[in-house]
Amino acid sequence: MRLLWWLAAVSVISLTSIVLSERRAFDPVQNLSLTATTPLASSLRDAARPVDDFFKGITDRGDIVRENRDLNDQIEKLQHAVAAQQNAEQRVRELESALGVKQERPEDQLLVANVMSEDTSGLKRMIAIDRGSKDGLDEGMVVLSRSGSLIGTVSRVLNNYSWVQLVTDPDSSVNAQVIPGGPQGQAAAPTETPAVTATPAVTRAPASPTSPAPTGGPAPAPPSPTPVPSAVRGVAEGDLKHELLLDLLPPDVVLAKGSLVTTSGLGGNYPRELLIGSVEGVEQRPQSLFTKATLKPAANLAALDTVLVLMSFKPARLTQQ
Amino acid sequence: MKYVIAVAIAELFAVLHVSVMQYIEILGVTPDLVLIFVAVWAVVRGHEEALIVALLAGFVKDLATSDPLGTSALALTPIALLAAATRIRAVDTEFLPTIIVVAIGSLGYGIISMTVLAATGQSVAWSDSMLRVVLPASLVNALFTPLVYLPVRTLSTQRRIGTIGTRRLTSPL
Repeated sequence: MRLLWWLAAVSVISLTSIVLSERRAFDPVQNLSLTATTPLASSLRDAARPVDDFFKGITDRGDIVRENRDLNDQIEKLQHAVAAQQNAEQRVRELESALGVKQERPEDQLLVANVMSEDTSGLKRMIAIDRGSKDGLDEGMVVLSRSGSLIGTVSRVLNNYSWVQLVTDPDSSVNAQVIPGGPQGQAAAPTETPAVTATPAVTRAPASPTSPAPTGGPAPAPPSPTPVPSAVRGVAEGDLKHELLLDLLPPDVVLAKGSLVTTSGLGGNYPRELLIGSVEGVEQRPQSLFTKATLKPAANLAALDTVLVLMSFKPARLTQQ
Repeated sequence: MKYVIAVAIAELFAVLHVSVMQYIEILGVTPDLVLIFVAVWAVVRGHEEALIVALLAGFVKDLATSDPLGTSALALTPIALLAAATRIRAVDTEFLPTIIVVAIGSLGYGIISMTVLAATGQSVAWSDSMLRVVLPASLVNALFTPLVYLPVRTLSTQRRIGTIGTRRLTSPL
């Protein structure tokens, strides 16, 4: 009987805490706790990483050699693609100047943040970063990897720290589009590389306008006069089984493996043309209303150490407040 | 004093959980050292102590993760009940009951955590979470139990011997 009373008391305390926590009553306590434990957690993470790399290096040696060879091939192709893209960007600037068109996002303000810890419960995909409300962060802000691809959104802000919901979290959904042009669309990725400096706020190169992906051939291809197929839109959702799923695609869509997927900008919660990942597989069923595709995230979400918070873009959910 | 020690150990395990344990992924999940610690404490030290330790360790764990404060405390509480049930046993060993408490406690922990997440407005993929997180976690936590059981058992035995010795010295007989 005494045990049941204890049990009831502990349950009531826990439930009350959950309710208060949802009302942000414990945010200062959590902020204080993270401040106290972060140095130890960071040291342990830094110490464990080389050990992990060592063991992974032993077990994954064959894959690493193969991947290295593939990456070298890709670098060569991308160098050609970058050259072609630079020509195209120059041409776009000239045309914009001639037509008097203003770029939608001339410069993005980014804030560098360090990843402190990761939620390892398995039910969620979250990371904690060392920037909070005192740095100007707000819930819903977009978070990018060092290379500029989308990794998630700020979901909970404390004074000095924030929790970031990754795109692979089961609760995450992002309006997305498949870049037309198939796997060759990979050439679009490097344009998102921002110039990161030691200062907290940095600028990001303007995103290139949507254009047909250049080919990876040896010589830069001239602009093609052929019509460009329109981008296929869907919703990128986190999934425990596949990590990232692109759902709500038209049933008759044909997607090539490796096609790049970016944000579509619909809904106003994410800027347009942020790289999310690439198509890994397509699931089409005759009786299904929509096609689903499994995506491979562009950023390595398992090994994030530094991320960038997009400060200049105000998501619709913030501007509506 | 025992609760201060328990909280200190739980804090250490919680920090390890969010920093180092992400590198130790088996069957797609990472072992939950705080849960194993509470289960071991419950079997070795008794369920009455375990109720308080579960509450404190749960709060400590939630402060280090993104869960609402109180989620782990609520999810760890059934472990004390399980530990009470293991007192009725035929075999005089604490190790096997600890393994069973960790395995079943992990299932309960996962289900309660998912319920709290769903109640606080987050979407939960129940079948996927059960198959890919909760069930593997139950097995993985049971596998890691000896790592926590042996030190806690050793420390607990030493304390018990010390207590008996003191009582003998101060006995009126």
